[in-house]
Amino acid sequence: MARRMSQVVLFNVFNGLIVGAFYALMALGLSLILNLSGVINFAHGGFLALGAYLAYTLIPYIGFWGALILAPPLTAALGLVIEWLLIRPLYGKDPLYSLLLTFGLAYIFEDVTRLIWGAQSVPFQVPAWLMTSLSSQYFFLTGYRVFMMIIVAAAVGGLFAVLKYTRLGMRIRAGTRDLDTVSTLGVNVRVLRSLNFGIGIYMAGLAGVLAAGLLGLSPTIGANLIMPSFVAIIVGGLGSLLGTLLGGLMIGVASGLAAVYFPSATEAVIYVMMGLVLLVRPRGLLGEEGRVH
Amino acid sequence: MANSNWRARISRRTLVKSGAALAAAQFASPFVMSARAADPVRIGLDNPLTGAYAANGKNELVGCQMALDEINAKGGILGRPAGLVVEDSSTGDAGTAVQKARKLIDSDKVDFLLGNVNSALSLAMAQVSNEKGILQIVPGGHTDAITGASCHWNVFRVCNTTQMEAAAVCAALIKQYGKKFYYITPDYAFGHTLESGMVKAAGALGGERVGGDLAPLGAVDFSSYLINAQAANPDVLIFLVQGDDMLNAMKQAVQFGLQNKVHLAGSQQEMEPLEGLPPEARIGTWVLEWYWNQPGVPHVAEFVEATKKRTGRVPTARTWFGYVSVWTCALAAAKANSLKAVDMAKALQDFHLPPEIALGPNPAFYRAGQNQLLASLFVGNAQASGSAPDDLFHVTEVVNGAQVASSLEESGCKMTWPT
Repeated sequence: MARRMSQVVLFNVFNGLIVGAFYALMALGLSLILNLSGVINFAHGGFLALGAYLAYTLIPYIGFWGALILAPPLTAALGLVIEWLLIRPLYGKDPLYSLLLTFGLAYIFEDVTRLIWGAQSVPFQVPAWLMTSLSSQYFFLTGYRVFMMIIVAAAVGGLFAVLKYTRLGMRIRAGTRDLDTVSTLGVNVRVLRSLNFGIGIYMAGLAGVLAAGLLGLSPTIGANLIMPSFVAIIVGGLGSLLGTLLGGLMIGVASGLAAVYFPSATEAVIYVMMGLVLLVRPRGLLGEEGRVH
Repeated sequence: MANSNWRARISRRTLVKSGAALAAAQFASPFVMSARAADPVRIGLDNPLTGAYAANGKNELVGCQMALDEINAKGGILGRPAGLVVEDSSTGDAGTAVQKARKLIDSDKVDFLLGNVNSALSLAMAQVSNEKGILQIVPGGHTDAITGASCHWNVFRVCNTTQMEAAAVCAALIKQYGKKFYYITPDYAFGHTLESGMVKAAGALGGERVGGDLAPLGAVDFSSYLINAQAANPDVLIFLVQGDDMLNAMKQAVQFGLQNKVHLAGSQQEMEPLEGLPPEARIGTWVLEWYWNQPGVPHVAEFVEATKKRTGRVPTARTWFGYVSVWTCALAAAKANSLKAVDMAKALQDFHLPPEIALGPNPAFYRAGQNQLLASLFVGNAQASGSAPDDLFHVTEVVNGAQVASSLEESGCKMTWPT
């Protein structure tokens, strides 16, 4: 009995890491935009849903793999248009403006999605060989989940590599610390912000395609996933992408552990965790000093 | 420069407050649609149009509109045209549903109130309609209390009780797949009563509850619950979650290969999630409350064609719920020859729906003293494909609702009529 219990705990912790990695992927895009531009992008879930529905539309023509490659940049392209038309004029203004704008955009996205693709969930097909369990004992390790982990690891690794080794990444990191100085040094801040926004939305689009393979695809898919992403940022610490990654993994594990001991609290536990972090270490686990006012 | 000043103003506190606002806004009501004819008899529909139950709510709306068109083509209600006033109740916020119900009754002066898909919201709305003395039809909120312990003289229900659904499917499950059941249950009124109905019905046949988890409404990840279920080694894994939650849970269970280790089943299944599932996940034993493919049953084919003409798809149980609900209003008014709620409620006691509205093999009638419609339940298996593209369910048994419903005494309904 005790052995079975410890096995269930182990399974749930491991499963929590998989789910947490997915939350982290969403939260990283959100965090990237927040850190450089100060935009709390409530429409991030809408972009996620859009990525998923674009992939759903593309699959009959170019297959799952083609859709996985094409849907995220298409989402990012739309994100850039929206950034250019609606968000850019609000840079430098009180964050409340962009907050309200993206808040409204989230609802518009959901209703437009409903209008185009219908209120009813649609079947999202992924290759059959990905849909099977890899081991009868570790049955929760399905081909799709392992594939998802690989993609998340590649995306996160790629993001960190871009930030560390490319000129664009260095400028984004520098801008996150002091945008005024970066601007004074001759960097085109407008372009920098746009590219950064595009990368963030690309990650939302990618998360959307991955989520659609795991969950049912309906217009609310993004709304259901956005809150854990905010929590991941707060737990991990504002201003730290590594913290966001850690925050995502931690809330995933906490949720998995709650499923063992108090299953009805699997969602509540992540907010309890956020509350505890805010009480004990308000700047989050790896957050920068001075971000709390 | 102003453009980097956000850091001085945006803070974790702003982020936390914003997150809280977003969470609260999930329950806000963003959208109001109204369609009102000149001085018509008004029917107020307070049902989800957004959120996890949006698809169910919209199909009920389609059914309501179809009935309304037919009623108006036949001269309306008591010679007056009938109109529908529609409000989005939200999927899960009772406060919004109640506020919309009050608005429909007080401002729009509706003669009938319809709703809700969500059981908890149906109960909350019933308090309001009873207080105001308005006839309410609940198209698709299943918790037993609506026509049980919390019944009201003015509240009638079209869909089945959770007890009826449980009783309809339990015998088939135990006979074919075993006695040990594990439950994944939505954590609100509907789920609680459905599980307790299943446990009771299975217990009477020697069934045993070997475990279960309560999942919050709108849960995204069901893998933890599935791990717990697998560890309990049941014969049957019962999914009581609904809507998008059902879709997520089934999709993940099939990805885990659980269908090869344990039989997947549930007491209530709907076409909406079945249509959203990939073919390989359309499996398991369930109860549908109405099905479009009923060869030989009069009037069903015409209803299916009319729905297809309007929406391009076959009707679901939700379409039929909405259709019956609006027709019930018209038939009650006609029988009572009045729009007075008490007169209409009395006229509906033991009232049998005509075959062109009942659309099923068994008689459909509102049981007196409880106001619960007793009709047919369709037990069977979900299937990847059938005789037609939309034939996603193979019916193995049609159960007469009157035979599986608990007695009036057992229902707990003690109806008090206004003096």
